[in-house]
Amino acid sequence: MIQIERLRKCYNELVAVDDISFDVHDGEILGLLGPNGAGKTTTISMICGVLQPDSGRVIVDECNIWVEPKKVKRQLGVVPQEIAVYEDLTARDNLSFWGSLYGLSGPELNHRINETLSRVGLADRAGDKVKTFSGGMKRRLNLCMGLLHRPKFLLLDEPTVGIDPQARLNILDVIREAAAAGTTVLYTTHYMDEAEQLCDRIAIIDHGRILALGTLPELTRRAGEAEVLRLTGPLNDESVRERLAAIPGTRILGLGEDSAVLAIESGGPGLLEILPRVLDADLGIEDVSIQRPNLQSVFIALTGRELRD
Amino acid sequence: MPALAILRRDLKRYLRNPIRTALLFAMPLVMAAIFAVVFGGGVDEISIKVLLWDDDDSLLSMLAAGAASSDKAGRQLDVVPVGEEGLAMMDRGQASALVHIPAGFTDDFLAGRKTTIEVVKNPAERFLPQIVEEGAGIGASVLSATSRVFRPELEQIHGLMETESFPSNLAVAGLSSGVNSRLNGLQEIILPPVITLETVTIATDADEEAEDVGILAIFLPGLAVMGTLFLAQSATRDILRDREDGLLRHLLTAPVSPGDYLLGKCLSVVMVTAAGFALMTLAGAAMGVAWGPPLATAVLILATALAASGTLLFIMSLVGSERQGDTLTTIVIIVWSMLGGAFMPLDQMPGFLRPLSASTLVFWSTDAFNSLILRGGGLADILPNLGVLFTAGAVFLGTGTFLLGRRIRRGAI
Repeated sequence: MIQIERLRKCYNELVAVDDISFDVHDGEILGLLGPNGAGKTTTISMICGVLQPDSGRVIVDECNIWVEPKKVKRQLGVVPQEIAVYEDLTARDNLSFWGSLYGLSGPELNHRINETLSRVGLADRAGDKVKTFSGGMKRRLNLCMGLLHRPKFLLLDEPTVGIDPQARLNILDVIREAAAAGTTVLYTTHYMDEAEQLCDRIAIIDHGRILALGTLPELTRRAGEAEVLRLTGPLNDESVRERLAAIPGTRILGLGEDSAVLAIESGGPGLLEILPRVLDADLGIEDVSIQRPNLQSVFIALTGRELRD
Repeated sequence: MPALAILRRDLKRYLRNPIRTALLFAMPLVMAAIFAVVFGGGVDEISIKVLLWDDDDSLLSMLAAGAASSDKAGRQLDVVPVGEEGLAMMDRGQASALVHIPAGFTDDFLAGRKTTIEVVKNPAERFLPQIVEEGAGIGASVLSATSRVFRPELEQIHGLMETESFPSNLAVAGLSSGVNSRLNGLQEIILPPVITLETVTIATDADEEAEDVGILAIFLPGLAVMGTLFLAQSATRDILRDREDGLLRHLLTAPVSPGDYLLGKCLSVVMVTAAGFALMTLAGAAMGVAWGPPLATAVLILATALAASGTLLFIMSLVGSERQGDTLTTIVIIVWSMLGGAFMPLDQMPGFLRPLSASTLVFWSTDAFNSLILRGGGLADILPNLGVLFTAGAVFLGTGTFLLGRRIRRGAI
């Protein structure tokens, strides 16, 4: 288990991570979901021991990473956000070097390299220099370096940024396989669909603070909404706001230039009752879409804004 | 051991990029070869191709052409007799200059009439046509002076040449007598000369030795030291590049401490730098440079590599980015190389700069190589130099490693 206890990190006046605590249970995939600049990378950097926190501690399998760094790091596999591979070396060279840092050598190292490259579909490019790879291939090689030594804990910092859908699916499949084999995974992302599909539990982070933590159903329940109505039209008007607010059983989550997001609160009148009231309110609505509660609506409910890149 | 893994990885990167590595190692050799070609050849090697268009075809013009083709001048002058086609050859840039002796030149000279020698210069060349022009000018002055001093005798010769019959003994004797009395009159004026020019080349023992060892041996050590500094620059730059590319950050997520990383990098920098220097030395030996006692040379190579690595690592530990590091270290290397004697022998430098030389590792290394190569010294003779180089290497390597380690731990790298 990874225990994060009251971690805090400031860069001059900016509080990047503000007193956060959570646990990553053995064998689970915990997603850390938040927009860019929310504090995800700073958090993961402190957990893997490359950034010293101002306060708080990280306990991995009952060892403090800042007290016994090498012991803890041997159990960690880290896949950073930036593609951290040596482009003038081959894929095999990169993995061979990385494996040697974990004490792997000889036939065992070769076997692991072949196995890992096969899992991400790069076996046939093992002898090619990395500079000839596409962005997606480099990302997959980056993932290989985190998996090569079969770590007990896998920390991934937005490993699918900037790659094509096929490579993304491949990476997500490999992470699922690792988790199924017993690896504990901490996965940071700003893609809600990834968090929904991949993670057993999700921590929503914004401005360096954990706003909510739980399974997807727990989070959506916590937001207290049954459905979300997304309205399109010239809605940025005070009178419109007043009329929307007057519709019983609803709550305004967001109001933009030409759109509004309205939550239908659970326990009140249902969608079938509310929708006609909204349409009859003469608001100039041009389009309506109905969404089931998801992480987007949870994030809006928690922060008052949408989760964007 | 992580440090050894990092060392192996770095060496593999050099092997995987053979062209880049070869260029890095070959640069000082190429520079030394250029220096040897530029400074190694003397004036004797220069040959000026001159076209001689002699329309006069008389004795005097033949004498002038013959003088230009004399043994000594012939080494520097390639005189090619041509006709009018010489002008076309000049248009094609096939010679440095064309000298035209016009028809009737000898007649006019002997008769004391004004005459002209034309020089056509090749505009594509700068210095060689100038030499021809100056030479022709000197020749014209000599002929003019001769014409004035021996005017009666020259007119007499002209008269004799105009007659159809062979000159009588009396006429020739009269001419000889006139020339003789004219020379006697001049003897008091021109002999002995009031001022004589004597050129003496003062050579030190070292220079005499240097002449024996060849020009490459004078320049290669300094340039090899400069090349070693550039090798160390390339190797230490990797630390900043590792940081900027996120590789160092990733590396530190593995069971690798900042100390492991820096130890690996230091080993790699020193090894690559020493190997590069050793290769340059071997290549120099293949080109005929006698480096001196092998043990002393090997120790000096190691000391220089250590000092170069330490210095560059220290500078890199002070800068914020790879670009800053590149700029600063390049300036330092060039200035040190100039001050330290890589581009010119130290005794050729202005006096006020010489004390500054001792502040550069290029000086201490080059001076030691000069001691081994030019002065026939051994290990004992270069001990002070080795002491300075090893101490500088250890101090800078230690300080640079400490500063980089502190920055890595603070998260600044």
